[in-house]
Amino acid sequence: MDYFHIFSLPTKLTVDLPALEKSFYALSRKLHPDRFASRPAAEQAAALAESSNLNDAYRTLKDPIARTEYLLKLEGIELEEQSKAATEVARTTGVAKKQIVPPDLLEEAFELNMQLEEMRMAKKMGEDDPQLRHDLQAAKSAFDAKMSATQAELESLWSKWDAALDTNNAAAKTAARDAMVSLLNRRSYLRNLVRDVNEALET
Amino acid sequence: MAYSDKVVDHYENPRNVGTLDKSSESVGTGLVGAPECGDVMRLQIRVNPETHVIEDAKFKTFGCGSAIASSSLATEWVKGKTIAEALTITNTDIVKELALPPVKIHCSVLAEDAIRAAIGDWKKKNHVTEEVGVAVAAAH
Ligand code: FES
Repeated sequence: MDYFHIFSLPTKLTVDLPALEKSFYALSRKLHPDRFASRPAAEQAAALAESSNLNDAYRTLKDPIARTEYLLKLEGIELEEQSKAATEVARTTGVAKKQIVPPDLLEEAFELNMQLEEMRMAKKMGEDDPQLRHDLQAAKSAFDAKMSATQAELESLWSKWDAALDTNNAAAKTAARDAMVSLLNRRSYLRNLVRDVNEALET
Repeated sequence: MAYSDKVVDHYENPRNVGTLDKSSESVGTGLVGAPECGDVMRLQIRVNPETHVIEDAKFKTFGCGSAIASSSLATEWVKGKTIAEALTITNTDIVKELALPPVKIHCSVLAEDAIRAAIGDWKKKNHVTEEVGVAVAAAH
């Protein structure tokens, strides 16, 4: 049974969080160990396993990113497999592989990494380059803003997915799914960059 | 995770780290990324316009040890090869040479992508369109 079914939810991405929480508590109570105290060991063990699965399900569905990733997995999307398959196509056809992440983001990621390296090097020598620090601060704000923008974008894709599910529109589902994949890929770059910049600025 | 000796060697003494002049006609630049982990790799080649032999290769990778080792190895391998020969290098070759575990396969994929991207860039710059096949054509 997938996580959505555990809560009797449709496989939709817009989730009523308070309702989810309520039903999580209700289901948890049913599985509470106290209720099984006088039951046979096998039954106790089964309830325990079910309860830990319930916890995983709740944690996954509660979190917007984890929920989206989980749904994509149910849809059979494995990011790594996708990338490898694309390389194989490039190898056999001789056509350049289309990078999953937009080239300008790669460019920015590379540039920022260069600056970070410079910053770390300067620090090692016991120097602090105010200009560099200032640039990194600016980069950090820019990436933070991009990161928040992805959240709004993701939510609009959720609506598209949910609507496509309601109307049973396969083409629209595929379009929404692919858009979510590329958004999550972009997001993983942004997240790494923000993390690295924060690290460099703090220490 | 334990890295193989070869990975450690390339990681600690990376070969050919650096930059070639991006704007030069004879230089091809490939910038690629692994969405799985958010790492980026840049690989550059300088190609002899007459012979199509790769005379120099440089890389700069921001990523894990396996990615650094894969790109270091890739630059070593492409040097002295023709464009057509370099295109026959696959990520599987890299995995074998460095004894990479399954979770690190995407790092080697990145290096293969980088080689292809650099060659693609050079071809575009030099208007080379000839179909460079997967296998180097056998002499008939
Ligand atoms: S973990 Fe990202 S390239 Fe190796």
